[in-house]
Amino acid sequence: MSTYLTRFTVRQRTEHFIVMSLFLLLSLTGLPQKYFDAGWARWMIDTLGGIDRIRWFHRAAGLSFTFMTAFHLMMAIGSVASGRSPLSIVPNRKDFTDAIQTLQYYLGRGDAPARFDRFDYRQKFEYWGLVIGAVVVISTGLILYMPILFTRFFPGALVPAAKVAHSNEGLMAFLVVILWHIYNAHLNPDVFPFDKTIFTGKISLERMTHEHPLELERLKQYQDIEEN
Amino acid sequence: MVLTFLLSVVLSAAPTQAAQPPAPDVETCLGCHNDKGMTVNLPSGESRSLYVDLQSFRQSVHGNKLSCTDCHQDMTSLPHETRPFKTKRDFTLAYYEQCKRCHFANYTKTLDSVHLKALERGDRMAPTCVDCHGAHDIAPSHKPKSRLSQTCAKCHRGVFEVYAKSVHGRFLEKSDDVPGCTDCHRSHDVAGPRNGNWQKRTPELCSNCHANKALMKKYGLSTAVSQTYVADFHGMTASLQGGGTSRESSVVALCTDCHGVHDITKVNEPGSRVLRANLVKTCSRCHEGAGDNFPAAWMSHYEPTWEKAPLVYGVQLFYDILIPFMMVGLVLQILLHFWRVVVNR
Repeated sequence: MSTYLTRFTVRQRTEHFIVMSLFLLLSLTGLPQKYFDAGWARWMIDTLGGIDRIRWFHRAAGLSFTFMTAFHLMMAIGSVASGRSPLSIVPNRKDFTDAIQTLQYYLGRGDAPARFDRFDYRQKFEYWGLVIGAVVVISTGLILYMPILFTRFFPGALVPAAKVAHSNEGLMAFLVVILWHIYNAHLNPDVFPFDKTIFTGKISLERMTHEHPLELERLKQYQDIEEN
Repeated sequence: MVLTFLLSVVLSAAPTQAAQPPAPDVETCLGCHNDKGMTVNLPSGESRSLYVDLQSFRQSVHGNKLSCTDCHQDMTSLPHETRPFKTKRDFTLAYYEQCKRCHFANYTKTLDSVHLKALERGDRMAPTCVDCHGAHDIAPSHKPKSRLSQTCAKCHRGVFEVYAKSVHGRFLEKSDDVPGCTDCHRSHDVAGPRNGNWQKRTPELCSNCHANKALMKKYGLSTAVSQTYVADFHGMTASLQGGGTSRESSVVALCTDCHGVHDITKVNEPGSRVLRANLVKTCSRCHEGAGDNFPAAWMSHYEPTWEKAPLVYGVQLFYDILIPFMMVGLVLQILLHFWRVVVNR
């Protein structure tokens, strides 16, 4: 029986669960709108009850996602402002050297992959990709949701541009999740079939040693972690 | 008396006939019915002429094909039996179904027409075959093409006058290219404003001509109007409601909602609803509260090119580069990682 450490708080796990659900719903209702001409999209639209209902669900999920993102960013800003945030998710110079070192190791040049702290460069990439993507889809989504209000203050030409940005950003997010996230959380031989950490909040000491050795060393300075 | 003459003609012909008497030829009937003064007074007080102009019948499409009794089948005895008609309209309504004996397909179509529905509701003035085609003087209804629309105009005067001023109507007499009434409303299964399924059919109807490259080239018009419409919010919604099994039919702008119906103008004509100066008003019909900037949110049927919509073009280009770049990068990283794991084992 190996020792487990707590990696994610209840709030973080809840946030992940909500994002996951909303992302699924938004993809299901968004992609058929982007590819409405295709047979599969028509089938999905009909199956889900027609274009008006799909749009309603997409907007409801989008607004929920907006509130959740706003909540997340406010909490993040609050914790940074009060000095309680370890800023462990912020990219730094080491992430670039880590990425190069790790890729070189994969190619067979170099003895070992980079040693990571609390978040490795792939996790930071995915987190910031999500944050930036969220800002893009939320702002463009709101433009598309309220074009009359928006064009009272801004040029109308931004509306079709917002539509192109929204659908492409959504597609990119979908592809990144399908490819990158599914690989890292499920198909990756290191965690196959399922990395449960984001749901249980727990990570084994063994995995910490491999995946986040620098964080583990820091933790050991402050607390007694028993290895067995 | 003409009548006794006719009677004697029929009787004198009788001995040479077999059991079934052959149809009397047209001249036989015209023996009486060429009398311009021949009329019958109806209980309604109306007077119905029984005169038939032989020459116009001979020139009609049926002139060398049919004889009188092919249509007037019940005229078997002389003198003719008394008919129960109280009004001229009674007479027309009783006889129009004669056409279906030969023209069954077109007759069947009329069963779905707005005209027949009006008739069934009790509107006795609703047109039947002969009201549009005529009776003894039937000529090809589409020669020239404008004749079709002129026929509709006999009753639908108001809407025809609006149409006649439109970009289509102005060229009705000059060109067979422009749509007349029946091109949109059909002819025998005539669609009315409420039973035409217009919500689903309108974009397709307009595209019949406006997506036809050869036809539009003659007039210097773009054929991209259809695909640019479908590519945008309105057209996407319309196409989904049109094609699928969707039960809903929400309000969505069709071609005619912006361009007009019978009063369609050239887009750059003064008074056009889609002139820039009039667009806010046109958009506001659905988008309540739309301001001066709002119409620019619609790309005016332009494809997103660098010249016409640089912002949209730029954003699309950005993602056209970014998405493949991102995906290739991620796939490479995944493959490298997987390869390393396999090698290490």
